Amino acid sequence: MIRLTKVELRRLVSRRLTAVGLVGLFLITILLLVATYFDARPLSAVEQQQAQQQYEMAHKDWVDHAEEMRTQCEADWKTQPDPKPKLEEMCVYSEPKPEDFGKPPTVFAQIMPDLLQGSSYFLAFAAFLIGASFLGAEFSSGAIGNWLTFEPRRLRVYGSKLLAAATGFVPIAAVVLAVILFGTFLIVDKLGDTASTTGKVWSDLSAIGGRAVVTSALAAALGSVVGLLLRHTAAAIGVVMAYLVLAEGVFAAFLEKAQPWLIKLNFDAFVRHDAQYYVTECKTGSDGSYACDYVQKTLSFEHGAWYLAIFTVVVVLLGGWVFHRRDVN
Amino acid sequence: MSDVAISTRGLRKTYRTRRGRKVVAVQGLDLEVPAGGVHGFLGPNGSGKTTSIRMLLGLIRADAGTMTVFGRPVPAQLPEVVGRIGAIVESPKFFPAFTGQKNLELLAEAIGAPRARVGEVLEQTSLGERGKDRFRSYSLGMKQRLAIAATLLKEPDLLIFDEPTNGLDPAGIREIRETMRGLGEQGKTVLVSSHILAEVEQVADTVSIIGHGRLLASGTVAEVIGGGTAPTVKVAVNNHEAATRVLTAAGMTVRADGNYLLVEGAPDPADVTRRLAHQELYVSELTPVRADLESVFLELTEGEGL
Repeated sequence: MIRLTKVELRRLVSRRLTAVGLVGLFLITILLLVATYFDARPLSAVEQQQAQQQYEMAHKDWVDHAEEMRTQCEADWKTQPDPKPKLEEMCVYSEPKPEDFGKPPTVFAQIMPDLLQGSSYFLAFAAFLIGASFLGAEFSSGAIGNWLTFEPRRLRVYGSKLLAAATGFVPIAAVVLAVILFGTFLIVDKLGDTASTTGKVWSDLSAIGGRAVVTSALAAALGSVVGLLLRHTAAAIGVVMAYLVLAEGVFAAFLEKAQPWLIKLNFDAFVRHDAQYYVTECKTGSDGSYACDYVQKTLSFEHGAWYLAIFTVVVVLLGGWVFHRRDVN
Repeated sequence: MSDVAISTRGLRKTYRTRRGRKVVAVQGLDLEVPAGGVHGFLGPNGSGKTTSIRMLLGLIRADAGTMTVFGRPVPAQLPEVVGRIGAIVESPKFFPAFTGQKNLELLAEAIGAPRARVGEVLEQTSLGERGKDRFRSYSLGMKQRLAIAATLLKEPDLLIFDEPTNGLDPAGIREIRETMRGLGEQGKTVLVSSHILAEVEQVADTVSIIGHGRLLASGTVAEVIGGGTAPTVKVAVNNHEAATRVLTAAGMTVRADGNYLLVEGAPDPADVTRRLAHQELYVSELTPVRADLESVFLELTEGEGL
């Protein structure tokens, strides 16, 4: 099994699509860092001057009219039917501050979790694509038949291919995420704020990165299984696209409460350690009125982890069962 | 070593077409391939040759029946004997974007063969100079040679070639034929499936003929083609009348066939020339009339409803 896995790893790294995928990942990483650089760049002198002017105008307006507007607001509040909104919420006229105008500094600890999460999406997609092609091409070219005349133990063959696809992507994902993490830190350290990057922040970011590596490996294994089941890379990608559009798009929009059972939210919950989602909750009040609220809910990390684990095990077992029984023509 | 390399009993395989229709590809095949030498596995297209080979190699599952390779039941114990089997099933299938050498290196690594063996088998199959070219750039003959090189990586005792000369030019056909003959002479067992009897006849020691997934005949080439009787010979001689009289008197059956005489029942073609020469009738041409697959097959399947 170890020998077979090594052979499969050699095949994986020798494949042109793997090389193309790596170049693509490299380019996306560079683009991401360039975008971060432009996002973190402080305002130019002209832009700062404009922001200062905006602030001064707003402040003057507040000095001139805030009291008058508050008085008017309080008068309006008194005429509101019960139940009234809270006065302090309805009539807030805060004094404008200079930091409300212009661009706030980029804070490393704030942007990095989102960047890592975004990176986990494209890494998972690349891993799925490379995994699907890794097995799909073997079936579409017919080379699997030749391979089985050298090693007929199908479950070993299957296991070695999945293991190679998954483990082969671990260093790739780790390197990409490390480049994004440290590259962003260097950029923000020069242009923004890294002072709040405590040991706990690093620990949390490392955990998100580690889990993104795990999801990439799972995506590579799942891609391999789908490639095996459908025998063509294009068909595997088609299935993913159809799932994203129909299940994650249409189905999730119509049946919001089903979101905890869809892959993306569980993926997010696992990578980010809990994920938020929204459902519309409607109820009829005691006065007969019917109102709907947009309620935020949380999907736990544990739910996401168990979901992904069970989903992967089921798909891998299904692939193994099909491969074990399938006639290779 | 077992005297029988391959044995099948009651082997059966049915497929379902896309429309759900059941097709019987192999029905109760009893096959025996002796160890050592070349065994021709003959039958027209669609007779179940490739399906039988695939079942032997564990690529497809049999519905019923038993199979053994070197006395081991397969597919249950196939992993124990697979190292002794080299097989090419239909057209050679490798990773098209990899070089021939890379394809062989991967296979060699998978079975634990030393990497140096790759160079050796490439040289053996005259692919040494093209080993670093991509498989997809190979001609059909080169692909076939690479497939043979792959089978040789294992140094197998049993080689299975399924329609090995399909699409090859005459030089390629000859090369493959010589390779098979050479392997047979080395004491290896070569099972070669084909629908062209003439091709197999030149290399095979024994043959099995199947039709509609059933064994129709089996034995040495001479037994199967001649059905155990003496062959027909075609004779060119000046005096047809006198020659007919001489040969008929010797118990042979003679028919005119244009400028030739067709002589049946001669125990040996030399007997025909000797008897005619005794009467000062000199033979200018003598050709054994060989049965082709079509005629043998039609004869064998008479009454089979095929």
